[in-house]
Amino acid sequence: MSRIGVFICHCGENISRTVDVERVASQASLMAGVAFSTDYKYMCSDPGQTLVKKAIAEHNLTHVVVAACSPRMHERTFRKAAEQAGLNPYLCEMANIREHCSWVHENREEATQKAIEIVGMLIERVKKNRILPTITVPVTKRALVIGGGIAGIQAALDVADCGHQVVLVEREPSIGGHMAQLSETFPTLDCSQCIMTPKMVDLANHPNITLHTYSEIEQVDGYIGNFQVTIRKKARSVDEHKCTGCGICITKCPQKKIPNIFDCNIGMRTAIYVPFPQAVPNVPVIDRENCTMFKSGKCGVCQKVCGPGAIDFTQEDILITEPVGAIIVATGFELYTITEKAKGSPIKGYGEFGHGKIPDVIDGMTFERLASASGPTGGKILRPSDGKEPKQVVFIQCVGSRSREKGISYCSKVCCMYTAKHTMLYHHKVHDGQAYVFFMDARVPGKSYDEFWRRSIEEEEAVYIRGMVSRLYQKGDKIVVMGSDIAVGVQVEIEADLVVLATAVQPQKGADLLAQKLGISYDKYNFYSEAHAKLRPVECATAGIYLAGACQGPKDIPDTVSQASAAAAKVMALFSKDRLEREPIVARVKEATCVGCFACKKVCAYGAVEEKEIRDRQGNLLKVIAYVNPGVCAGCGTCQATCPSKSVELDGYTDEQIVAMIEAL
Amino acid sequence: MTQTINTSGYSAITDSIRNEARRILGDGTVSAVIGYTSSRREGSTQPTVITKSEDADKLLFTAACLNNLVVYLTKAKKDVPHEGRIGIIVKGCDLKALVGLLGESQLKRENLYLIGIPCNGVLGSLFNPSAELNSETIAPKCRECTDRIPAGCDFMPDVETVGLPELNPFYSSEIARLEALTPVERWEYWKEQFSKCIKCYACRQVCPFCFCEQCLCDRNRPQMVEQTPRPSGNLAWHLVRAMHLAGRCAGCAECERVCPMDIPLNLLNRKMAKELKEMYNSEAGFEVREKGPLTSFDEHDDQSFIR
Repeated sequence: MSRIGVFICHCGENISRTVDVERVASQASLMAGVAFSTDYKYMCSDPGQTLVKKAIAEHNLTHVVVAACSPRMHERTFRKAAEQAGLNPYLCEMANIREHCSWVHENREEATQKAIEIVGMLIERVKKNRILPTITVPVTKRALVIGGGIAGIQAALDVADCGHQVVLVEREPSIGGHMAQLSETFPTLDCSQCIMTPKMVDLANHPNITLHTYSEIEQVDGYIGNFQVTIRKKARSVDEHKCTGCGICITKCPQKKIPNIFDCNIGMRTAIYVPFPQAVPNVPVIDRENCTMFKSGKCGVCQKVCGPGAIDFTQEDILITEPVGAIIVATGFELYTITEKAKGSPIKGYGEFGHGKIPDVIDGMTFERLASASGPTGGKILRPSDGKEPKQVVFIQCVGSRSREKGISYCSKVCCMYTAKHTMLYHHKVHDGQAYVFFMDARVPGKSYDEFWRRSIEEEEAVYIRGMVSRLYQKGDKIVVMGSDIAVGVQVEIEADLVVLATAVQPQKGADLLAQKLGISYDKYNFYSEAHAKLRPVECATAGIYLAGACQGPKDIPDTVSQASAAAAKVMALFSKDRLEREPIVARVKEATCVGCFACKKVCAYGAVEEKEIRDRQGNLLKVIAYVNPGVCAGCGTCQATCPSKSVELDGYTDEQIVAMIEAL
Repeated sequence: MTQTINTSGYSAITDSIRNEARRILGDGTVSAVIGYTSSRREGSTQPTVITKSEDADKLLFTAACLNNLVVYLTKAKKDVPHEGRIGIIVKGCDLKALVGLLGESQLKRENLYLIGIPCNGVLGSLFNPSAELNSETIAPKCRECTDRIPAGCDFMPDVETVGLPELNPFYSSEIARLEALTPVERWEYWKEQFSKCIKCYACRQVCPFCFCEQCLCDRNRPQMVEQTPRPSGNLAWHLVRAMHLAGRCAGCAECERVCPMDIPLNLLNRKMAKELKEMYNSEAGFEVREKGPLTSFDEHDDQSFIR
């Protein structure tokens, strides 16, 4: 006979505000099999847990139900407490009366009734819980970092410095990411290249780091501690091992008028190219779409001039598989554009700003390239249309960001600071120029940030106008900016030579597809979701996968670097053990009824289902059925839901347990 | 106006499959052939399993050969030898079910010898097995059949069948009629149909895809589906069956034919097949599908409903 202990938590007032916790406890005590029932203000606190442990001993409890918050929050806490009191941890269950009840209801009477029913369901369920032994699996002490921007570089260096092998995969021909494009960085105005490139070189030379540039993630199999990652190394058409990086191929390439994406299409590059002079690795790539050799089969100049014979037009994509134990996702961001969006897209463009068709309306990153000493203008601020020096520059904040009607409601966090920086850079370079900034409000919290912003106004003469811009249009060689100044309450019209838009920070294109390969969750904007907004900000809900940088949400460089190091620390903690304890919530196949249709194998996202032969004593093959490898199974339950004959059961979530819960209602 | 359907090729088909069965049983290619033979009533047929070449003349093919014999390869295989390759006579619709079973690891192609029938339609029922095959007596499934010539078989009789005249489709017009109803009316329609069910499970027994050793509806711990023939249990049973067949059912319509209560079971299955064709561009055919539409996922699947 079960002797169940029921513990009702007030969660401060989170639960007790809407649920009569004392009544839930007294009702629970009347339910069949309940030997002890009580309530307490903070069950997860030390005294609360002690209460649970003491009750288990004093009342000789066989099962425990804790009615409190979501199991995602504290299931582990209470299972540990139960274990310390001598119970198998899997005989303890959580009844979620916070997220599922008190937080979503207002009527106290009805909420209390619902809480009683939730507790009743869990009591019936816990009676059918079985003792589950812990599963341990080996840990591959190698990490994969996806993305070679500052986040990926920092995380890779930190893990590698601890003595573990790191594989870094970068989609572009060079690592460096967006930070390599920046001119100077706030709040200290040090040159981005100067602080970035040494780190890039460190990474390339690190004995523990394997670098795959111009490569993408093809497929991810496995689970925490034991991932198998298939990487597509795209055909570079240049042999990385033979190339010395002399650059003669680039000088001789006849195709010289290809817009360089690294320079925001302002500068030009050749068909065989490195994105920027400080690229790591310093090995060029042939852009096959624009290369004369690939288009017409005639040219091959680069091949003729290459001393070491590194050019290989026949190179093909290759797939390599890397075994890793942990994955850090650092895929970064891209900037929103005001161009017209596809019909039906939740995110809209800006027709009132000319949909990006006015040449001297540029985004912040383009301005960075103009201001950069290594940029297409050599650091001179020259406008794209006619190369003239602009004397009046208007900066517009919150383009895309914080505008629900355009489809993006979040704040992009970095624009206030970088626009302040832009006004300074502009003032340093064009002494007789005037910068105007249209802004909603200045969001500049952070060490030395507010001082920096004020400096742009007080010392660098930027004129800040609180208000939004309603329209931009070309008039002669000027751009007319029509806006409002809500501080004074007047309409403002400025004839600008150049307009710089602080466009929203968005996740990289294809971020959702990568998330689906990795099996991690993402929000409606495709930013990756952390396991807990406050307490687990760098971990994904999928074990063994961690997040760094702007792929999780807009971030500046200091925050990105902090998060990257935090993710690295999580990986190091994982690698500190040789074997990893795993929850024994895994699927099992009932061999008697399995007919081997392998629907489970087809739907298993983790490759956990194998084929198993059943033979009689004489060794005759009777049937081939499914077998779930408990080391690989992630306990998602998809196989259980798919099995037509209900021959797969997920331990801890068996059909009997679920039906018992339903019948308790 | 009743249109006659040409079945003149069926006697040549009968000769051809007899010769082939004699040959493959004689030279040991197969250990048995599953086919049709005449039954007690004039013109009627029944399934048979022959293991000797001298029995080959018992085989035949007529418009009264309704059964989907594929069910004898999975659960109804009491008389089928366990050793050696098995020959089986398949119409196009039957072959699609067999191909589905290959995809679900229930059969191995190398263990089978497929004798395909260039079919020109069969009768809707055996109440009058000697009836002429015409637009009135033909099975509803044959009216809109697009797979009457099987593909990928080991043997096909070298007989030309002329093909069917243009017939009014049955299932697609019924589906269109039901789709035009309001959800409430549609629900009423199906509730009424399912209320007739006596839980004889004939539909399950005849279905090649119901190959589970223990049907979940027979389980009692926990009891998933109420077993007595009452409305809630009937509804649950038919919904479970429709969902389990979605993306798999090949449309042989055997369930509907054997139902003693005339529940339009294949209509439900055709509707599900239509949905899956529209959503995932997947349907039963003569090519083995590695994964069915409901057991595969790729990132291009429509996910608009998740957000």
